[in-house]
Amino acid sequence: MLQMHKVSKIYRTDSVETHALREFSLTVSDGEFVSVTGPSGSGKTTFLNIAGLLEEFSQGKYELDGRDVSRLSDNERSKVRNEKIGFIFQSFNLIPELDIYDNVDVPLRYRGMKAAERRERIMRVIDLVGLGSRLHHLPSQLSGGQQQRVAIARALAGQPRFLLADEPTGNLDSAMAGSVLDLLSEINEAGTTIIMVTHERTLASRAQRNIMVSDGRVSTGAGNLHIAAAAHA
Amino acid sequence: MEIGPIWRAMMRNKTAYVLIALQIAVTMAIMVNAIAIIQERSHLIDRPSGIDEDNIFYLSSVGFDPDFDARATITADLEMLRNLPGVVNAIATNTVPLQGGGWSSGLQTTPGADVDGTGAAIYFVDEHGVDTFGVELVAGQNFTPTDIEWHEGASSGWPPTGIVSRVAAETLFPDEDLSAVVGKTIYINNDRPVRIIGIVSRLQAAWKSWDGVERSMLVPMYRLSSSTRYVIRTEPGERDQLMPRVEEMLAAANTDRIIRNMTSMTETRARSYVEDSSMIKLLVFIVSLLTAITGLGIVGLASFNVARRTRQIGTRRALGASKRAILRYFLLENFLVSSIGIVSGACLAIGLNIWMVQTFEITPVSWYIIPAAMVALWLIGQIAVFGPARRASLVPPAVATRAV
Amino acid sequence: MFRYYLKLGVLSLRKNPVLSGLMVAAIAVGIGACMTMVNIQYVMSSNPIPHRSDLLYHVQLDSWDPNEPAQEPDEPPDQVTWIDGSALLSAGKARRQVLSYRTSRVMQPTDPEIRPFQVEARATTSDFFPMFDVPLLHGQGWDKAADDSRQQVVVLGKEINDRIFGGENSVGRTVVMNGDTYRVTGVLDDWNPVPRFYDVTNNPFTDPEEVFFPLGVAVDKEISSFGNTNCWKPIGDDGWNAFLNSECVWLQMWVELHGSAEVRDYQAFIDAYAESQKSLGRFARPLNNRLNNVMDWMDDQEVVRDDVRVLLGLGFLFLLVCLLNTIGLLLAKILRRTGDISLRRALGASRRAIFSQYIVEAGMIGITGGAVGVAMTWLGLRGIEVLYSELDFIASLVRMDWEIVLSAVLLAVVSALAAALYPTWRACLIHPASQLKAL
Repeated sequence: MLQMHKVSKIYRTDSVETHALREFSLTVSDGEFVSVTGPSGSGKTTFLNIAGLLEEFSQGKYELDGRDVSRLSDNERSKVRNEKIGFIFQSFNLIPELDIYDNVDVPLRYRGMKAAERRERIMRVIDLVGLGSRLHHLPSQLSGGQQQRVAIARALAGQPRFLLADEPTGNLDSAMAGSVLDLLSEINEAGTTIIMVTHERTLASRAQRNIMVSDGRVSTGAGNLHIAAAAHA
Repeated sequence: MEIGPIWRAMMRNKTAYVLIALQIAVTMAIMVNAIAIIQERSHLIDRPSGIDEDNIFYLSSVGFDPDFDARATITADLEMLRNLPGVVNAIATNTVPLQGGGWSSGLQTTPGADVDGTGAAIYFVDEHGVDTFGVELVAGQNFTPTDIEWHEGASSGWPPTGIVSRVAAETLFPDEDLSAVVGKTIYINNDRPVRIIGIVSRLQAAWKSWDGVERSMLVPMYRLSSSTRYVIRTEPGERDQLMPRVEEMLAAANTDRIIRNMTSMTETRARSYVEDSSMIKLLVFIVSLLTAITGLGIVGLASFNVARRTRQIGTRRALGASKRAILRYFLLENFLVSSIGIVSGACLAIGLNIWMVQTFEITPVSWYIIPAAMVALWLIGQIAVFGPARRASLVPPAVATRAV
Repeated sequence: MFRYYLKLGVLSLRKNPVLSGLMVAAIAVGIGACMTMVNIQYVMSSNPIPHRSDLLYHVQLDSWDPNEPAQEPDEPPDQVTWIDGSALLSAGKARRQVLSYRTSRVMQPTDPEIRPFQVEARATTSDFFPMFDVPLLHGQGWDKAADDSRQQVVVLGKEINDRIFGGENSVGRTVVMNGDTYRVTGVLDDWNPVPRFYDVTNNPFTDPEEVFFPLGVAVDKEISSFGNTNCWKPIGDDGWNAFLNSECVWLQMWVELHGSAEVRDYQAFIDAYAESQKSLGRFARPLNNRLNNVMDWMDDQEVVRDDVRVLLGLGFLFLLVCLLNTIGLLLAKILRRTGDISLRRALGASRRAIFSQYIVEAGMIGITGGAVGVAMTWLGLRGIEVLYSELDFIASLVRMDWEIVLSAVLLAVVSALAAALYPTWRACLIHPASQLKAL
């Protein structure tokens, strides 16, 4: 369970104050697949950064799995990210010098897991995304879709409770995007909570619930409407 | 974090790391060999000459008049010098240790032209020689006034007694106790017998680079020629005020000669070892500069790597790496590069040292210098990389989601 | 196009001032360290008499101890005995011959206000001046007749002439040395061959002697040598005469020979001389007589010190480290600009164009580094001068001439271009499209 209560984020420069999020409140239950949409600059990415503990916020309260994570130290936040959250980025963010195997290995290393267990998990998730035959390829040797599959495998390897996806298909063509979305749906059905930020409504429709963000707030009503629409479909 | 993935990532971008490793290797080779030379030279400079250097100065008296009476001049000069307040003692001799010019002769334990002699420096002194030089008599006794002879310059007459340095005694009689050497007869100029009546602990020859520098003999005679060197030992602290006075007094006492080259032993030591001490300073400077350049090279490469990998670092942070894990990554990466550089540097250093020993006849490097240099370079590497690594650890995780 | 590359280079260097500064500094420091030592080596090993060095031969005769060589492994002594030197001199088989040694005299000015002072002196023969092409300000050397008749004549160095005669033309006037009166036949102009090749047994980097007078006079007056005297056999008992007839070597012998035939003939002559001496019970060692021209003799005597060789080697290794550093920095710079390069390639730049652009930039770094390196070399030489100030001859070793300045800049540019080759080649390999899509 993810709960944000009146979370605000203000960026300050010398002369300008930007309210990226204004008293943003949201609850996501376990097992949900939620999409977050909104125009550019609406605060989608800020929301994702805060949800993923990549950034701190100015005011409000944030609970993850019943634990208040609002004021954790940098070290504790790293540990929570490593154990509870999986990330999928728009530009994949694979480490170019590492092959597929080592890329998926990265979060497991930070968890200090034994070699045998790491190996078992890595093989399982790479098989899951269908790249078992490409273990020792470098990211640059793969297509965009394949790279995003590796990124998904990397996110899943740590067996996170939450999967945060930032425009996961933004750099992919529609066929590839489809297969990535299928994969995400499967993962969600297996029990992982997914929050996906996107600006495309068609993608958002794959989620069970859609949150519209505009001007740093949740647009009232839009979410419910969408659930209704999804139920009709 | 473990070494495996760091190593594999480095291998994808070898060149930059190879360059740094090479740089470290060459630095190491230079460092080790420079230290070897520095050690050798410091060891040379630290050797005592055996005489009371702090309180001794000397000067030359050169007679130029064809009727110059060397014997009368020496007698009068020594009388005056020895009675001067502040002067401990004075002698007329041919040279002093470290001065660079002197007299050496072969000494042998059996007479004959076909016997290989042992070279030793010769100091012509009277019974005040031991006291004036301030050397320590460790066996036997000093000359008495009746031992002292006067000889014309080019004549090769030779007094029948002598006092040798400990090393000379040990070289001539390797199997005898020092006390047993006193009273033995040795031969100079193939067949002139000389009885050893005393042994001094140490008196260096005038040539610091000669391999027989520790072998010398005091010979009880005045060697008459137009040029004489006076060696004067003063009370502690009196030397500097006495030097100009003595020069003036001697010049005034006899105008048929000139007084020149008045020098203290302190100056003589400095001049004698100037090339060694300057070599040490130069090498220290070169090694420091080189280490600084290599350090800057490491800083440069690491900064560049951090800048290039900002996004990657953010991603790692997003995936759960703590700040310390990022710091450790760069320190470990540097440790790996340094290790390769240092290990190949050690081989290079040894190779270069072997070559230098053969070509320049330097002393081989002491074994412990190599591990010491390794540790030093490892530390320097870690210190150099620390700044960029810390900057890397401060990359915010949110970089990962930033639009490109 | 070249000007365009220059402009791009300046822009690029100014864009990363720290990186550019580091590269220039690395090259400058490397050049400075290296060229400082090259300079000293260059001066030490320079040819002191370039137009005649192939005509002047140093003579060595192996008259040494039958039981051991004068120097290991089997070197003849570096000087000659009076017996042999005077014999070769009077044989006169070469075009010119010089036999000489270093000594010292006390000059007694007639002006009672000036105290007598000691001067470095060389006792030599008349051919010394024409053979070594000694420049004379006034008058000339003495002639062979003066040698033979033991005339008390002298050639004064410029400074001594200034000191005694106030710089006037003193030819024909007299000076008193050690109570003897000498007539001045000539005054030297400035003359300071580096190294002082005609006698390297004494420190080869000190100035020439201050007065020159005939060898015959010096020997008659029993004036002993101030240089090295080495003996393998005890000297007899009758004083100076015994010394002259001893096996001690203390004189330097030089001859002038033109062409290999003359050298061959002279070698045959000294070998025959040695054979003839064998019948007198001398020259017990196998024939080992040598003729070396000036530069071979400087090499043989290792006029360049080991310390200088060691430092020169370190200097080059130092430059190598600096270049590795520069290669690393250039590579970093070029890899950072991958996007820019691939964009240029996409816009139609050929590989050659990219190569030229970066080589021009590297050349600019090289020239700047070289210019700063010349300053560093100058500083390095001043540092050496201060460090070795106890050595009175150091000033002659730290001179810097145009050849050194030009070589420094050249070495810097060549080094920078060499350092730039690999990074530039890597830049050329960047594919036009590779970096545009997924940055």
